[in-house]
Order: sequence, then C-alpha cells, then structure tokens
Amino acid sequence: MTLRILVIIPAFNEAGAIEGTVREVLAQKVPVTALVVDDGSSDATSARAAAAGALVVRLPFNLGIGGAVQTGYRYAAAHGYDIAVQVDGDGQHDPSYLGAVMAPVADGRVDMAVGSRFIDGHAGFRSSASRRIGIRFLGILIRLLTGRPVTDPTSGFRACGRKFIGVFAAYYPTDYPEPEAMVVVHRLGGRFTEVPVVMRPRRSGVSSIALLKPLYYMIKVSGAILLHTLKNRKVYEP
Amino acid sequence: MTIQWLAIILASTVFMLVIELVRREKLTFKYAFAWLFLAALGVVCSVFRGLLFFLSDLCGFALASNFIFFAILCGFVFLSLLMTVFLCQQNRRNDRMVQALGLLELEVRGLKERVDGR
Repeated sequence: MTLRILVIIPAFNEAGAIEGTVREVLAQKVPVTALVVDDGSSDATSARAAAAGALVVRLPFNLGIGGAVQTGYRYAAAHGYDIAVQVDGDGQHDPSYLGAVMAPVADGRVDMAVGSRFIDGHAGFRSSASRRIGIRFLGILIRLLTGRPVTDPTSGFRACGRKFIGVFAAYYPTDYPEPEAMVVVHRLGGRFTEVPVVMRPRRSGVSSIALLKPLYYMIKVSGAILLHTLKNRKVYEP
Repeated sequence: MTIQWLAIILASTVFMLVIELVRREKLTFKYAFAWLFLAALGVVCSVFRGLLFFLSDLCGFALASNFIFFAILCGFVFLSLLMTVFLCQQNRRNDRMVQALGLLELEVRGLKERVDGR
C-alpha cells in the first residue's frame, strides 16, 4: 500500500528560500505533496511556493510557528494523509533526509520521528554555543519527563503518523511547539525517536529565536514543558 | 455627606453603569457578571458597615480602611486574571478561524482552477 505523505512547510517572509526548498522536497524519490503554510508573509513567499509546485495556504496574519504548523496538520487530517512531515521553509532542513526521518513512522515503530543534528557522527550546521547549551538542557529535561533520550528537542524536522496528525490537528502547542510536542506525544502514550540528520545554515530570513537571549528562552520553554505534566490529558484529545 | 454615603453612591453607580452597558449590548452578561458581583459586594459592604468592620477584624487588619484597599486590590487582581483568560480564549478562537479561512481559501482556489480549466 502506498502511503500518502504530506510535507508541511511553514514559512514567514521566506521568498528567498522557499522556491528552492519546495523544489528539493518534490524532487525526492518518495512521492509527496508539499503544503506551504504562508504565515502572513508580506513578501512573495506564496507566489514563489506556488510557482515551485506547492499547495499554498495563505494565513491572513502571522500566527507564529505553532499556528502555522497546526494548519498543516488540519489539512493532513481533513485529507486523510498517513504521514505528515514538517520541514522548515528557510532551507535549513535538507530534504534528502525526508525518507530517513519518516522511515520509523512508516514502519510503525514510532508515532513521531525527529531529525536530530546532534546525534554522534553527524556534522553540518550546529548553531551557536549558547544555543547548543540551551538545547542540551531542554533535552535533559524532556528525557527526565519522558524517559527517552533527546538530543535535539528544538528541531522542527519531524514526521508524524495518523494518530498524532489527528491529535495535532485538534491541539498543537503554540508557545514553544517543538519541545512541547514531544511531551504531548509522551503524555498521550505515543513513542518518539530521533534520526540523525545534517542541517544547513539558513538560506535567508531571521530565526524566530535568534533575537531572544538563549537563557530567557530556556527558562520560558522549561516552564511551558513542565506545565504540560500538570495538564489534564483531555485538553490534548481530539 | 458622610464617607459611607459616598461609598454607597460609588458602588451603586458602578453596578448601574454595568447594567446599563449590558442593556445597551456594549457588554455581554458573561463578561459583566464579575463586575456586577464585585459592585454588589461594594454596595452591601457600604450599606452594612458593621459587616465591613467584622470582616476587617476577622482578617486581622488594624484599620478598616486598610482592609478596603486590600479587598479592592484583590478584586482587581481577580478581574485582570479573568480578562486574561477571556483574552487567551479569544486568541485561540482567532487562530482557529484564521486557519480555517486559509484552508478554505486553498480549497476555493483549487475548485476555481478546476472550473476554469474545463
């Protein structure tokens, strides 16, 4: 049976990179549908994404990464996709790893697979030292909460199966979605794993957390993650 | 005019103002209820002074005026928390609506292309 795969590409003012990202995604061996969620861009992101062959959802104003990604999950749930893969629109995620990231989900081994740039033996772009410290701290925190090893909790390169497409269509964290989503998967009895990937520097645009002090970011994310352990599971259920 | 009358007039004015705003549909009852409750409490406490002194003593305040300031502060903290809850709720609904709008627009564009392509 052929799996129906949707690649969700959230993008905000990524006109300089989106075309290349979409073309690379569609050039992979695995047949996929590319859905660009234009998160209220004021540049030509939508037009360039459509020209490259993607379906484009244009949000009237900026919702932030969580709201944009959830739009993609809502589309995936409404159209019965088997797997949804998130790929950033800025060109950081190398689409040649699409197959590797979705494989554990396609095999049914896990509910979510996350592309990690920090699994030993893989080089490439690794961001600044202060951000790496923050990422490591969050990884330890999530490991303590879930019992699973996590090396790259802020990675947005990830794949989900049907169960969590449905969950995320109804509820997706909006504050710090990537690390929080891992805790949500664990709380709902799902399994996740990490897959080694190589990431590249951004092609254009500015990272949404580049301007925040990593320490401040780390404290806020930790608070948001810890609060998930106190939430009633019903808030996540579709 | 005594301070008691001033308090009664002030609390009653707030109470009536909120009712008038609901009557004119400037406020819905859902959001006005907390204001009405606090204003009614203000009216009761200013009419029955003994109750105010009793509550002040019970909470261990040396002066009833300190108790009043404290109670007003608590009231506003409660109201602003309630407003934040409403704001978050509204924000979530807005997000859901914007997502639905974006998805619908995609569907409409697809349908138009199919119709135009015929």
